[in-house]
Amino acid sequence: MPLGTLDRTPPPFFKQGPSALSKLMFFSALALFLMVADMRFRVTQPIRAALATVLYPVQWLALQPVRAVQNGGDYFTALSQAKTSEEEALKKLALQSLRAGQVEQLALENTRLRKLLDLREQKAIKGLAAEVLYDAPDPYTRKIIIDKGLAHGVALGSPVVDESGVLGQVTRVHPLVSEVTLVIDRELAIPVLNTRTGARSVAYGEPSASGGGLELRFMGSNSDVQQGDLLTTSGVDGVYPPGLPVAKIEKIERRAESAFARIYCTPQAQVGAAVHVIVIEPVSGQIPLRPVDAAALGPVKKGASK
Amino acid sequence: MIMPSGQQLLLPANPVFIWTSLIIALLLDMLPLGRVPWMPDFLALVLVFWNVHQPQRVGIGLAFMFGLGMDVHQSALLGQHALAYTALSFFATMIHRRLLWFTVPSQALQVLPMFAAAHGVEIIIRMSSGGIFPGWTLLLAPLAESLLWPVVSVMLLAPQRRAPDPDENRPL
Repeated sequence: MPLGTLDRTPPPFFKQGPSALSKLMFFSALALFLMVADMRFRVTQPIRAALATVLYPVQWLALQPVRAVQNGGDYFTALSQAKTSEEEALKKLALQSLRAGQVEQLALENTRLRKLLDLREQKAIKGLAAEVLYDAPDPYTRKIIIDKGLAHGVALGSPVVDESGVLGQVTRVHPLVSEVTLVIDRELAIPVLNTRTGARSVAYGEPSASGGGLELRFMGSNSDVQQGDLLTTSGVDGVYPPGLPVAKIEKIERRAESAFARIYCTPQAQVGAAVHVIVIEPVSGQIPLRPVDAAALGPVKKGASK
Repeated sequence: MIMPSGQQLLLPANPVFIWTSLIIALLLDMLPLGRVPWMPDFLALVLVFWNVHQPQRVGIGLAFMFGLGMDVHQSALLGQHALAYTALSFFATMIHRRLLWFTVPSQALQVLPMFAAAHGVEIIIRMSSGGIFPGWTLLLAPLAESLLWPVVSVMLLAPQRRAPDPDENRPL
């Protein structure tokens, strides 16, 4: 029998390190401490960023087979399907070019009118294109991971849009990737504007096991909302630029026992299947400082002159 | 070690193979397949397996570190998987002397409550911190994990079951 057939090192009877129970106590306490630090104090970002950077090569490796299958599927897509999708895209482009032509003229008119009325000019929106790496597999939240991070200049709190509407908001920024909380997540709320009536309200995420939507809360049961109303960002929050489509009203339940109506909306963005997204710089960086109140300054000046 | 009669003597486990299997399990868990609550946790399964078979090499500390990695990957609450894997690893260490006396199918039956407890820990933590209920299909995850136990047992013990003295009739 050759050497190395059996484990020849004697089992360490006396030197086995700390007992399993004490290890369990130590690591459970550490895990609980981390959870509290993560949830209540939000101080674990450096640990997360370091671990995310270490894990990035493994994640990249895990992405490859799925990407290969997707690309292979794309390669074998029938020619007719490609043609129809091209036709649709051309039709959409024609419609959009008409509007784009109008936009140029409207923007010019708008700037002139704003100058005339001495209003602050609207700032241009700066965006950064990103690709969705994967849906976060955590079933208790609704998040996605995108392939742009701190190294590419993504700021915390940036709104993220896809081709058809607001997708969500950047809630964690790692060095190479970022985490986006979707609009249908329970912890996300967006100030919206009903484009038909001009009424402002706030839409909250309303997730369910299958898909999910948004809910307009605290709207009186006699408020003027209709099925099919388009909700866009109102721009009063200092985060989202105004006018981005968010959701469409799907169902309104008015109940006798409640003063509020329950209003369910479907998100306009592809919350389940977004691939290419744009990360927009938060508007808060572009808001001018609050004008100094003359009345509040008055007495201080007096005191200083004395 | 006292062993049940009629069981084959195994070759010593190769640390490189242990680590490779853990990394492959991590890769399987990281496959971007979307939000599937019933997906078995391959990493937990392989960790429990090595905890039972090689408690000197794979212990609670390693399980904790892998748990942290899973938390960051899933962008879940930091410490959630770490706690679940720590508990799993502790239970595995507790039963590792007894478990190997049973046949593989009844081993699978005995690890089922452990996996169920680990998922239970996760769901209690997340629901109490305001998470979304992931749906009843989550109950299938521990079941799938314990159904995979025999498969993993065959695959991960195969290198240790090779012939100690390979010859022309038994090249492996």
